[in-house]
Amino acid sequence: MKELLLTALLGIGILVLDILNLKKYVLPFILLALATLVGFIAADWGTIETPFGQTMLVYENGANLALGVFAVVLFFWFILSSSYFKQHEGKTDLYALVVFSFCGAGLLASFGNMAMLFLGVEILSIPVYVLAASKKHDLASNESGFKYFILGSVASAILLFGITLVYGATGSFDLAVISNFIQDGKDASIIMNVGITMILVGFLFKISAAPFHIWTPDVYQGAPTWITAFMSTIVKAAAMVALFKLFTGPFQFYVEANGYTIGVIAAVTLIASNTAALWQTDVKRMLAYSSISHAGFLLSTIIGNASLLSLLFYLLTYSIAGIIAFGVIKETQTLEGNPLKGLYRRNGVLAFAFTAALLSMAGIPPFSGFIAKYFVIAQLIEAKYFALVVVMIITSAIGAFYYLRASLNVYQHIENAGRIVLTPLIKWTYILLTALLVLLTVAAGYIHLL
Amino acid sequence: MEKLITLVPLFPLVGFLYQVFFGKNTSKQLTTIIGSGAIFASFVVSLIVFNSQLHSHHAVTVKVFEWIHAGSLHIDFAFLVDSLSSTYLLFITGVGFLIHIYSSGYMSHDEGFNRFFAYLNLFVFFMLILVLGDSLVTLFVGWEGVGVCSFMLIGFWYKEHANNEAAKKAFIMNRVGDLGLIVAMILIFSNTGTLNYVELFNHGKIASLSPSMLTTIAIFLFIGAMGKSAQFPLHTWLPDAMAGPTPVSALIHAATMVTAGIYLVARNGDLFEMSHTASNLVMYVGLITALMGATIALTQNDIKKVLAYSTVSQLGFMFVALGMGAHSIAVFHVITHAFFKALLFLGSGSVIHGMGGEQDIRRMGGLKKYMPTTQKTFLIGTLAIAGIFPFAGFFSKDQILAHAMEHNMPVFILLVIASACTAFYMFRMYYLTFHGEFRGTHAQEHHLHESPASMTIPLWVLAVLSIVGGFIGFPHAMGHAIHFPHALDHFLEGPVLVAVGDMSVTVEIILALATMGIAAVMIYVAHNIYIAKATPVLEDNEITSPIHKLLNKKYGFDELYEAMFKKPANAIGHAFATVVEWKIIDGIVNAAGTAAEGVGALARRLHGGHIAGYLLTFIVGLIILLGLIFKA
Repeated sequence: MKELLLTALLGIGILVLDILNLKKYVLPFILLALATLVGFIAADWGTIETPFGQTMLVYENGANLALGVFAVVLFFWFILSSSYFKQHEGKTDLYALVVFSFCGAGLLASFGNMAMLFLGVEILSIPVYVLAASKKHDLASNESGFKYFILGSVASAILLFGITLVYGATGSFDLAVISNFIQDGKDASIIMNVGITMILVGFLFKISAAPFHIWTPDVYQGAPTWITAFMSTIVKAAAMVALFKLFTGPFQFYVEANGYTIGVIAAVTLIASNTAALWQTDVKRMLAYSSISHAGFLLSTIIGNASLLSLLFYLLTYSIAGIIAFGVIKETQTLEGNPLKGLYRRNGVLAFAFTAALLSMAGIPPFSGFIAKYFVIAQLIEAKYFALVVVMIITSAIGAFYYLRASLNVYQHIENAGRIVLTPLIKWTYILLTALLVLLTVAAGYIHLL
Repeated sequence: MEKLITLVPLFPLVGFLYQVFFGKNTSKQLTTIIGSGAIFASFVVSLIVFNSQLHSHHAVTVKVFEWIHAGSLHIDFAFLVDSLSSTYLLFITGVGFLIHIYSSGYMSHDEGFNRFFAYLNLFVFFMLILVLGDSLVTLFVGWEGVGVCSFMLIGFWYKEHANNEAAKKAFIMNRVGDLGLIVAMILIFSNTGTLNYVELFNHGKIASLSPSMLTTIAIFLFIGAMGKSAQFPLHTWLPDAMAGPTPVSALIHAATMVTAGIYLVARNGDLFEMSHTASNLVMYVGLITALMGATIALTQNDIKKVLAYSTVSQLGFMFVALGMGAHSIAVFHVITHAFFKALLFLGSGSVIHGMGGEQDIRRMGGLKKYMPTTQKTFLIGTLAIAGIFPFAGFFSKDQILAHAMEHNMPVFILLVIASACTAFYMFRMYYLTFHGEFRGTHAQEHHLHESPASMTIPLWVLAVLSIVGGFIGFPHAMGHAIHFPHALDHFLEGPVLVAVGDMSVTVEIILALATMGIAAVMIYVAHNIYIAKATPVLEDNEITSPIHKLLNKKYGFDELYEAMFKKPANAIGHAFATVVEWKIIDGIVNAAGTAAEGVGALARRLHGGHIAGYLLTFIVGLIILLGLIFKA
């Protein structure tokens, strides 16, 4: 509970600092708060806390770990994005919005009640609509925010409708009650099934799985790059954690009955995203399709009897690679023509970090994306979803093509390359994150100790 | 004391790593000091360990780290220190050190000086791992490691294409043998569940195997040994390996690596002891190799090729001893051979150095005058290999012959013929090189000089070892009569099979005198032909006698393999490249790529950018999903 309070207070605190004209302390303040948050999580390890009775929020190891992963990713996001926000006049407002959105992510990690779930989704999404449109004089950014808002509201409506139907069938918002309802042997009615399907659709939109993914390239491309990075990592990860909690918890019976259908959704997502990515010439749009293809992998975790740990491992790995990749794109965005071409001549650290991130996304050892995908595929094989595994492997091969094409681009020779200068803090953060991509591979061996 | 053993391979590894990371900026002197110093340090530690083994005589396993732990497979990276491994240690590091010193002189003008020392250090490291490993897996690491180093050193002067060809040939031929070793390892593991020597032999795991399985395993192990130790029919790589610098030929392709096959058989001696068929195979392959190498060497004119075929032949002798169950004698011959063959190779290197790179003995002659030290030490080596008392080769070869006489008369007679050939070709080479008139060009004669001290001192040390080295293995019956023990047999007994014949002193003496007599006659014949009559040696295109031609062409193995394996393999490869690869596989890949792009083009059309279209897709998606859920 104190984690959530801390986050909410942090958001308000940022606004207060703005009023007191202490803008230059905002970033250290945020980083300190996030570090404290991780400290709280570590201190709470192993305890179970249920504020507001049994129903609303449940803090146990899984929820805490998810929150910890989000906090770590957000920590690095704030460091790397600092050079962009430095020139931004409305910096503190945007920071506050990000932190509020993060509050929603916190709710999604710990909800024990569908009301909290819906609140979490909305708190997560509404600041992002604003953030996506935050480049006020940029048409693409406005379009991005507007599209996201319209489509997001429809998705929220479908989600809410689904929650209502489930309430109608079971008489409760409480996950424990819903679980017991099924376990007591009562038949799931049509209403219940329709409701759960609509909840699923709401989340498929949020994690951008097919066929509810088509907004993603437009919105990701149009939004300011650092906001895209936030959307494709933390927003997506939080939605995925919520989806995972629901469908491996109270709705497990639904997954057992319809595993095949969910497998088809994952397969279609993988095929549609990876083949479309082949055509992309804009690297940001290519990463949007890459993000969709990861949704295919993430969605598969719920039918493969995966553990929350392996999902969080995937999310952490993917998020680190994601903020590196979007970060590098942002650093080069001011350049003319093809900005990534010959990047190694402009800045070796950025070039190497970018390559490592893309190779990790492609699932090539020794980067941890390989292990993350390996976990997913191994669990799918155990659950006997062979056709889906075949699709994953073929689409990964297609994926390797465009990831490698983009990373080779970085090493092309160019004349008169102007240097890109990074501050020491940012440079070392890139190095640290790249090292993390390798270290996580090693750490994967110890994951069972948690 | 055995705990120190980890240091022995560590020093060369550190030496190697130093050269890799700092070699470029290191002066030649410092490279020499570090490279040779590392081996010398290993030698000192080896001496301590050896001394401790000499007193305690207990095999000790020293675990370095846990290596592979997966399911029932549990392999430690551990060293087995016993009399066999400590004996090998001593001459690997000892001879290795001398050759490092020699190399500092021989390679002094080479631009790849640092690289050369790096490779040599790495080679010694892997060779030590090979003999120290306590299981076949660890041995295999060293086994492949020395193979790689051999490859890199044969092709050391990579700018000449022929050297690269030779390196490739050596590597590929060795791979054939390695495959045998791998199969043997798989068979042992699947039948006993372990690859550790102690568990296999001391705990009797091997005894539980059926006789046919034992024979199969032994034969596959022997195939591995054949590759590394250049036994017929996998021998053709060794003469070509002479493309490497001469110190490499001395260290790797004479003294140490090529004897790894003997080590492998001796280490797994119990296995061969239990299979009569496999032992006989070892003996006959060794015999064929000994005879073939000796006869080919009769007609070769390249100083290093003669020595190479002589090595092939001597390795054959060792395998004959192994096949007869006299494993300790084989190891004995390994040791004496390491001394005198290293000496001979280094001597030939000194000659090549003095001749400015010339290797053809038809262009030499009378070098005695210009290179007295090289000549004297070379003569000692030649006497040793010819088997003249009291030089080292006499003792070991004589004991192999003695065992053969007891064991199998036809084998004995053929071995005597091979050793007669040895005396002849060695003295033919010696006389042609050092005596008579100089037959080279004026420029070469002007260039002639004795080699520097860094090269001649190792020659002298090895010469001394070639003289006294044999006394560690004094013949049993004679030794018994004069109370001079066969020190090596006593030391090796336990880990290595020791076969003691029941030959009387008289027979032993007669045999020794007879073999020496034959050698003396052959030396006289060689002297008669090449010194007294000064018969000129024919150029290759002047050879008319078919037998001479056959020998000069090395029985045509290279041509045979070329026709049997290389050409068909190339043809198959070409067919695969043009038809399967370009047409079928590339076709499929390109088609898949085109298909993926096609699907992508379709998928892309969905993203038109219109919100209404997006919403429609959502609703259609939701309906399809509901349809899928309620289809049943």
